[in-house]
Amino acid sequence: MTKPIIEVKDLAKNFGDNQVLKNISEQVNPGQVIVVIGPSGGGKSTFLRCLNLLETPTSGEVDFDGQNLTTLDTKKVNTLREQMGMVFQNFNLFPNMTVLENIKLAPMKVKNVSDADATKRAHELLQQVNLDDHADAFPSSLSGGQAQRVAIARALAMDPKVMLFDEPTSALDPEMVGEVLNVMQDLAQQGMTMVVVTHEMGFAKSVADRVWFMADGYIQENNTPEEFFSNPQTERAQDFLSKILM
Amino acid sequence: MKNKLIMAIALVMALVAGWTATTTTAQAATDDSLAQVQKSGKLVMGTSPDYPPYEFQATVHGKSQVVGMDVAVGKKIAKDLGVKLVVKSMSFDSLLVALQTGKVDMVISGMNPTPARRKNVDFTHTYYQGGYSIVINKSDKGIYKDKDSFVGKTIGAQTGSTMYTESKKQTSGTTVKGMTSVSDLILGLQSHKLQGVAMEKPSAQAYVANNKELAMIPSKFNLSASDTSASVAFAKGSTSLVAAANKSVDQIRKQNLVNKDYLPAAGKYLKTNTVNTSMLHYWKAFLKGIEYTLIITVCSVFFGFILGVLLSLARMAQGGVFATALRWLATAYVEFIRGTPMMVQVMFVYFGLGLIVNLPALTSGIIAISLNSGAYIAEYIRGGINSVDKGQTEAARSLGMTKGYTLRYVVLPQALKNIWPSLGNEFITLIKDSSIVSIIGVSELIFQSNIVRSDTYRGVAPIAVIMVLYFIMTFTASRILNHFERKMQHD
Ligand SMILES: Nc1ncnc2c1ncn2[C@@H]1O[C@H](COP(=O)(O)OP(=O)(O)OP(=O)(O)O)[C@@H](O)[C@H]1O
Ligand SMILES: [Mg+2]
Repeated sequence: MTKPIIEVKDLAKNFGDNQVLKNISEQVNPGQVIVVIGPSGGGKSTFLRCLNLLETPTSGEVDFDGQNLTTLDTKKVNTLREQMGMVFQNFNLFPNMTVLENIKLAPMKVKNVSDADATKRAHELLQQVNLDDHADAFPSSLSGGQAQRVAIARALAMDPKVMLFDEPTSALDPEMVGEVLNVMQDLAQQGMTMVVVTHEMGFAKSVADRVWFMADGYIQENNTPEEFFSNPQTERAQDFLSKILM
Repeated sequence: MKNKLIMAIALVMALVAGWTATTTTAQAATDDSLAQVQKSGKLVMGTSPDYPPYEFQATVHGKSQVVGMDVAVGKKIAKDLGVKLVVKSMSFDSLLVALQTGKVDMVISGMNPTPARRKNVDFTHTYYQGGYSIVINKSDKGIYKDKDSFVGKTIGAQTGSTMYTESKKQTSGTTVKGMTSVSDLILGLQSHKLQGVAMEKPSAQAYVANNKELAMIPSKFNLSASDTSASVAFAKGSTSLVAAANKSVDQIRKQNLVNKDYLPAAGKYLKTNTVNTSMLHYWKAFLKGIEYTLIITVCSVFFGFILGVLLSLARMAQGGVFATALRWLATAYVEFIRGTPMMVQVMFVYFGLGLIVNLPALTSGIIAISLNSGAYIAEYIRGGINSVDKGQTEAARSLGMTKGYTLRYVVLPQALKNIWPSLGNEFITLIKDSSIVSIIGVSELIFQSNIVRSDTYRGVAPIAVIMVLYFIMTFTASRILNHFERKMQHD
């Protein structure tokens, strides 16, 4: 059996009195694509942000590559964080930089990659997401779909071992959802380990290895997509699916 | 203006009182004032050069310098001591503070050795016995005869001067208005805000001789000798220096040097000075003013910006006792600076810090304005940083960038763009507000215009000139800033 790349043990997170995550224990194996679905406010974003410590867990452990992130010092956390790329609902591209500069910034500043190497790698990634002709554009001139593909390329530029996606298509016009999902699907096929929070059930069905259903601060159900969608185990999941499939 | 200044002086005096008290008593115990001056080889004289013929600015061989009978007195004292005389200009109100804080070694500025002043400084014997006159508009000749003719009218006198106190005391039914500079008073007279201006007789003579529209009348003030005599002031307890200066002063009296040599010489400067009173003739003085105004503004915005960044970061520090302390300190600093007048800060840096390190006026001015501007810029930057979407920080951190890199490469550039208009406003405000440092004698534009005004006996023209000059500077600056603002707009 392979060693899990991410292992979460008894993870809990409170915001004041509001207990958002309640003792979650799950694991992600290398190469797996996990799709996290669930009702709004169920704690999906918070869970994802706890994985790369953008949010500090209240208790429990997050092990990445065999190391417990919650006990590491800030410097080590920074190094491990660069191995987990993250893509946000609102892209969060740096508006004062061109597409190329957005992608080059972190490799050059964090990994001390030379300008020439960073530029070369950035162009490769832009080709991968079909946007090389926009290298010198500023983010404000891009469509939502283009911006999100640039954001994916930017995260990939750090050569992460895992990619975290938090509703990457929720802010997009419907006709642009496909181009982003295609890029993600390609990535999955190349063997990237991915944790994806999404409402795109089609993507979950065709790409996910496992579906985690999350509500009320728990992972209520961890199943294969086939099983989850045809035969949900918990009442909570049945309820959720009946609502969104209507 | 006057009230602000007096308040400022009071505050600075109170703040430095502790130090001065200790330093002066120390001096009294072991007086080495004379030895110190001889050791340094120079004697620094403080004066307010807008009081011809006592002291005023004149263009000598193309260069503007302070001349007048007081300067001749100063030269004589320095020569007798075998040292070089250095003349430092500042406003009359600042002179005694400068003396007490060691900015100058002595003050010669037509100053009367009144009992109140004697409490704080030591005076030499009298080098000149004057009297008061009142300058009026020539058209009013016959209406006013002496101080008692001004019932229901307004007369003016220089703030902080003996004339001012005595005019208040010895008139009834007359409003007495104080202004810092005599040129302003004359302007007030000519624009009929004032009906008379009380000043020392030699000054009155100089003004009347140089301005055909003015006349003078005797004041008929009832005055003690100390109110009409002029003496040299030294720091309290500098007995040896006073004794040495007294030898020179006694000679001046005995040989009647003031009336025989000094006053006629000063009169000649006055004549050459007023030959050409066109503003163009003084372009060099104005240019120097512009130069200093710009130096002060640019340096202050530069250092203020650095300080502002540090302060804003300190105000946002998080985690640990140290961060809390830092945050508290930065907040206290910003609140304190924003809650006190810039004028007081300028005087505090020049006179107050001057007790510890002897800073030149220009440096003090730049330090004070940078410290002031830093507090305001810190608030702009804090607002700018808060206005940057949190998602930007999260994206940068998720890429493995440290807090510092995130701030430097992602947040600050965007914050800067957001606050650029506010920073630009701060810069333009500083072009105008830097004029405050004129009170400590920095030759920026206002200071230079005052010199031109007392040089030419023309009240309005120099003001009109600097108004236009200020406008040209601020307008050009705002054009340049707009240009950069447009360049930064790509999103
Ligand atoms: N920084 C925060 N401070 C306080 N409460 C928070 C914070 N972030 C999230 N919460 C709360 O935690 C709960 C879970 O939020 P979270 O964003 O993780 O849910 P979600 O499942 O991602 O929902 P959505 O589908 O709307 O994105 C919500 O009640 C939210 O109000
Ligand atoms: Mg969410």
